[in-house]
Amino acid sequence: MIPRALLRTVLLAVAATAVVFAATEILPGDMGDVRGAGRASAEDVARERERLGLDVPAPVRYLRWLGHLVRGELGRSLASGRPVADLLAERLPATAALVVGTLTVTVALTALALAVGFLRGGRGGALAPGLAAVPQAVYAAVLGAVLSGVLGWLPAVSLLAPGSSPWAQPRALVLPALTLALPSAAFATVLLRGALTDVLRLPHVADARTRGLPARLILRRHVAPFLLVPSVRVLALMTGWLTAGTALVETVYGYPGTGGLLVSSVAVRDVPVVQAAALIPAVIVLVGMLVADLLDTAGRHRPGRSRRMAPVATAGGAA
Amino acid sequence: MIRMRLDRGPAVPAAAVTFVALVLLGRQLAPYDPERPVAVPWSPPSGRLPLGADALGRDVLSRVVSGGARLLTVSLAASAAALLCGVALGLVAGWGSASVGRAVRWVCDLLLAVPALILALVLAVALPGATAVVVASVLSGAPLTARVVGARCAEVRDSGYVRSAIERGERTPTVLVRELLPAMSGLIAADAGLRLVTALQLATALAVLGLGPQPPAPDWALMLSENLPGASLNPAALLAPAVPLALTAWLPASAARAAGRRMGGAA
Repeated sequence: MIPRALLRTVLLAVAATAVVFAATEILPGDMGDVRGAGRASAEDVARERERLGLDVPAPVRYLRWLGHLVRGELGRSLASGRPVADLLAERLPATAALVVGTLTVTVALTALALAVGFLRGGRGGALAPGLAAVPQAVYAAVLGAVLSGVLGWLPAVSLLAPGSSPWAQPRALVLPALTLALPSAAFATVLLRGALTDVLRLPHVADARTRGLPARLILRRHVAPFLLVPSVRVLALMTGWLTAGTALVETVYGYPGTGGLLVSSVAVRDVPVVQAAALIPAVIVLVGMLVADLLDTAGRHRPGRSRRMAPVATAGGAA
Repeated sequence: MIRMRLDRGPAVPAAAVTFVALVLLGRQLAPYDPERPVAVPWSPPSGRLPLGADALGRDVLSRVVSGGARLLTVSLAASAAALLCGVALGLVAGWGSASVGRAVRWVCDLLLAVPALILALVLAVALPGATAVVVASVLSGAPLTARVVGARCAEVRDSGYVRSAIERGERTPTVLVRELLPAMSGLIAADAGLRLVTALQLATALAVLGLGPQPPAPDWALMLSENLPGASLNPAALLAPAVPLALTAWLPASAARAAGRRMGGAA
């Protein structure tokens, strides 16, 4: 089972590179035109295209690019000429810190929401799906306005230089992390509530209730263990989505991470940087799903493990 | 906690149509030109300008009432395209042979490997913002719809009334449209709400990141980033677009949940 799950992940990772490459390759013009815009002769543009390797057919370029990617060669930024690997490396710690901080808040909020839902009978209200639907930018605007504008507690813009340690100014993490965590906690709650409802229908839970055990004990001993695998699956998804979502919050709050780099590179059509930065969240989603699959396979052999959960991917979630 | 009573029959479509019409025709209701300064920048709310003015002294109320049309149009188009492709793909997967179903599922998994926001951003390198939202919604939404519809279609395929329709000699498209689709209407309605929410989130994100409508166009998402610096001077300028934007996402999500509930599933 393990090699099969691994093979699937590798195939999907290759597919992700193909999707990213195809999406950046439908450019009506290319970097040769952009760089030479207005001042270069057609001959110069052709020479520049040749130098950048844009004169060969797309499938050949894809395979060439994939080959470099596998060897860890990400190429150079078309805008600044710096190696893409350096650009990413100096921004990855900041994004990693943001994602880890956000995940901590998300997990705590989700656990709280599920516990409250359980104590109220396991039937959730409209609050979580509604909150999960509200676009992230609204959270950014409202939190920014209240916490930094009106109350003045936090800096509205993180003034961290790219490459400096994210822990140098921990307060800069609060607004981006909260903005990311609130909707993702709501979303995780929606996803896991289905699993919770299923677990509550299991005979041993009903039995424990009939025996009159206190709700908190039932939750800890009879319900929580069955939520492990679904939780890992949702955690994997959330990590990938949060990493994708950093594109928005890092740009809004000026936080120097890979998400902000992706957005600014999209604006100037710096294709090598876009391609590499876009693959980071995709790879995280795939690795997370692989871990969940492996855990699931390991857990399936034990009797009574519930593998059922809400159809994870049917709910909305752009991030 | 707010409990939406959205499972009340014709009230839902009527309210939805009214809301969409109000948003689309909003510009006609604007008291001032939403793109021209009419007051001192960041003026607080007053009798003349109930929501005050923004960074350039433009009337916030006029900008809010005219700022949803483009966002809603793009989101509706994107979600309709995603739903249409998804349902078609799902019917093919659920109705066709096992190998067709496997192939469709494989393509769906493949497309889902890249998060939707990343897909939209990458597409925005080459495409205009609105087109990127539509394409990204289709590529990341249609697989989800196809999965749900395909699973249900495979279930319904073997039920008595579908079999009898086939026995009667109905052609396959007729069976699909007359027998299968009505049986899945609740499911598709719930899914439509979710697709709309995703499209709206993508459109908002791209607009906030500067890859959508360009200033001075009035747009709820753009207003969020424009008015953030003046949050302490005129908070109304920031909250005024945030509220309808949140509502536009909240309502379809609640409606989708209500539709899911009616089918007996825990949404």
